[in-house]
Amino acid sequence: MKPRQSGGVMSIDPNRTMLEKLATLPPADAWQALPASLWDESAARHLLQRAGFSATPAELARVLKEGPVATLHRYFNQMPEFPRPAQVAELAAESPRLARRLKQDWAPEQKRLAQQEARERSRDALLDMTIRWLQLASRPENSPAEKWLLFLSDVWVVSIEKVKNAALIYRHEEILRSRALGSAVDLAKAMSRSPAMVVYLDLQQSRRDAPNENFARELFELFTLGEGNYTENDIKQAARAFTGYRQLDGQFEFARRQHDDGRKTVFGQTGNYDGDDIMELVFRQKAASTFLPREMVRFYLSETPLPAAYTDSLGSQWARQGYDLRRLAVMFFSSRAFFAEDFRGSFIKSPVQFYLGLLQDLGLNVAPIPRQVVGPLRQMGQLPFDPPNVRGWIGGRAWINSATLAARRQLIDALLHPLNQAALNADDTMALNTAASGGATHFTLDEERVRAWAKLPPGEAAARLLACSLPGRTDDALRVRIADFLQHGTGNPEAAVRTALGALLDSPDYQLC
Amino acid sequence: MKNTTPFLPSTRREFLKLGTRGIGLLAFSRFAPSFIVESVAAEAPAAEKDRTILVLVQLAGGNDGLNTVVPFADPNYRRLRPTLGLAGNQLIPLNDSLALNSACSPLHRLLQEGRLGIVQNVGYPNPNRSHFRSTEIWETASASNEFLPTGWLGRYFDNACNGLPHGDPCGVNISNEVPQSFLAAQGHATYSFPVNARGNRGRRESLPLLESMLQAPAGQEHEHDNSGYLRHTMMDALVTEKRFQTFLGDYKPGAEYPASPFANSLRNVAALIAAGVSTRVYYVSLTGFDTHANQLNTQNNLLKQLSEGLAAFQRDLESKKLDGQVLTMTFSEFGRRPSENESKGTDHGTAAPLFVMGSRLKAGLHGHAPDLNVEHNQDMQYSTDFRQVYSTVLDKWLGCKSGTILGHDYQPLGFV
Repeated sequence: MKPRQSGGVMSIDPNRTMLEKLATLPPADAWQALPASLWDESAARHLLQRAGFSATPAELARVLKEGPVATLHRYFNQMPEFPRPAQVAELAAESPRLARRLKQDWAPEQKRLAQQEARERSRDALLDMTIRWLQLASRPENSPAEKWLLFLSDVWVVSIEKVKNAALIYRHEEILRSRALGSAVDLAKAMSRSPAMVVYLDLQQSRRDAPNENFARELFELFTLGEGNYTENDIKQAARAFTGYRQLDGQFEFARRQHDDGRKTVFGQTGNYDGDDIMELVFRQKAASTFLPREMVRFYLSETPLPAAYTDSLGSQWARQGYDLRRLAVMFFSSRAFFAEDFRGSFIKSPVQFYLGLLQDLGLNVAPIPRQVVGPLRQMGQLPFDPPNVRGWIGGRAWINSATLAARRQLIDALLHPLNQAALNADDTMALNTAASGGATHFTLDEERVRAWAKLPPGEAAARLLACSLPGRTDDALRVRIADFLQHGTGNPEAAVRTALGALLDSPDYQLC
Repeated sequence: MKNTTPFLPSTRREFLKLGTRGIGLLAFSRFAPSFIVESVAAEAPAAEKDRTILVLVQLAGGNDGLNTVVPFADPNYRRLRPTLGLAGNQLIPLNDSLALNSACSPLHRLLQEGRLGIVQNVGYPNPNRSHFRSTEIWETASASNEFLPTGWLGRYFDNACNGLPHGDPCGVNISNEVPQSFLAAQGHATYSFPVNARGNRGRRESLPLLESMLQAPAGQEHEHDNSGYLRHTMMDALVTEKRFQTFLGDYKPGAEYPASPFANSLRNVAALIAAGVSTRVYYVSLTGFDTHANQLNTQNNLLKQLSEGLAAFQRDLESKKLDGQVLTMTFSEFGRRPSENESKGTDHGTAAPLFVMGSRLKAGLHGHAPDLNVEHNQDMQYSTDFRQVYSTVLDKWLGCKSGTILGHDYQPLGFV
């Protein structure tokens, strides 16, 4: 079906493809690939918005031609590289020295200063890393893989609040990245050795004679199985298997003398298990096959869980494929269930998606000014690498309240108006100049573009504004209202264009994908 | 923010006046701001000047009760806490057997003045040691094996909170997430502030346009629950935001608040109460109590923040003669295990004490101290059910039948 073109805006064809409804899909068939007859522009847009952050015109055209399966194999072929930011590398190199200083027998005041320095170094490095990650993720061809990484790190949660060392957080993400498209069992084993995880869930303090239960509990409850699929005793016994896991200066170490190699009974099986054995046992539980699919549904598809029959069906197919994460992603995003009518335009965008999608829709780059990027993300409720707690972000309607809505609005404001040069400090200016010399510009809406829109006849300008804010979801009444506003608005035409675009991006419809 | 846009109404009267300017239909759609719908539906009662107010303080992470209200005379305490046990000037004795952690000294002064109550050893049967599940149990007031979709305060809103004057929200939370306690069967207006609320940058001219979009969805064919939810929340937020920002900006506290985000949250609560907002439930949160390792300094710092913040809030209310209206209560998802662990920390446990503060309560100790005669790594047995605390607050403070809210009648306590 060819989308109809009118006034530069895609309109919804009244004769468009009839979408499938989830309820009409038998669970056994729901994860089959979408039939070619149902692949159209609206489906391609859905794929881009849900698997990635938004549908840029160029990527949309490409994906529409390639088809869903080829597209997904391209996106999930391999993870993009994320080189270690210089500040993180320096921090990692300095960490042993900083740690030694804290252990020295210094006066409290001296110690406090050393601590403060370590904290500040880490904070700066994390800001640097956050900006660089957002830059990487904002490129449309990287977006689905980077969103996948965000998803996995929302399952295998660590937080800078407790880990307090950005180098460890980087290492954690690096491990996730290296295993993100492989076996979920291998990923789980690697996660238990992540230095950040060792610190975050107190494995560092867990000893043969005094196993700390924190990691074992969250492993079962929040990372792999879900509540109700293990006993308190399973936790106590599994905790023993993970004793001796240590990190020193950001490197994993196994303290054999602190490891309890005695017999443990977990999930009714007994043996001299170590941590890796526990992971193998975990993935022999049926609950492990449905846990990650359920989390995917929550993160990507719908805040209302699917009926268990659907996730059971996806889970058992995934288990048969050896818990391969790439195959899970391709199966999920190409499925009939994923494209069902129930999920079109019905999902509340997370703050990270809202921010990166907004940049993509407006053709902007991530400004290399940490406080202009990090502040809004924090206020909208989702600062990468800083989840509220070990469960990660709840998502869905929990993203939306009066405080977070105000933050979304302020971000739009900031992006639609030129940077306030007077409010920049020396560091900001230097960062901007460095970025500009590397060819990165367009941190706020291009003034040339605004001027061009302002010169168009109001009807045409309204159509352009809709095309970059709510494409494919236009109705004539809204276009007429925008045109009317542009025509009769007070003040100069450029301000009116900004105001109208701001209102469209503020609107409830733009918060959804 | 003083210059209010003429387009956005903040009272029902202003709102209805706008009817002639084309926004009238909004009042009858399901996306109308809550205050319109509720006022029409429930014959809004007049503002109650002497209404009682509850301020709930969440200590997130699981506060270690044994090192907050310390049974220092019990030899078991030393046995269970060989390195974490407090002694000497770390303690402020309350009687022969119990003491407050000295980090709580501002609370001790309130206790002496009859402004503070301590409800001891609060928990519930078959305790759950997951942060999330146990928080959920406390916030929904469910049994350990029962899953409730609504929070205890949400059910209070459902029963007693229709049609507040001026469209004031039923509950205000100063935290980045709406607390589960507020989840209700009906769509009540609640309002969330970010923890460090600053002044608003000012509304823009886009409001009229945005309002017309709130009125009619752009993509009718995609209309569904989340869309309606967004519309409703946005309209409510816009209306309330205007009023509240003014109150916070204009507020002159009658006591000095320490410089912490937590104290600032309480200052903002005081500002709204002093402005005469008819909201009856406030929720603030202090986080970081999950002390699995190196607990001593971490917990002391948190208790210090808590105590100084609460004391400043109480003094401020007293200076404005509003203290008689307000009851403040802390809670935490669980206490921690009596035996310290090998990391100089404590693991997830069960019962713990909670604080109630106000000028119209029965100060001092309530309930029974925990029995510490437990094996290594064994947990304490609660002696007061947290739903007894809730029922006391609902029946005796908020004036609402607790049985309806909690599903059962619980034996009330004597602190109110």
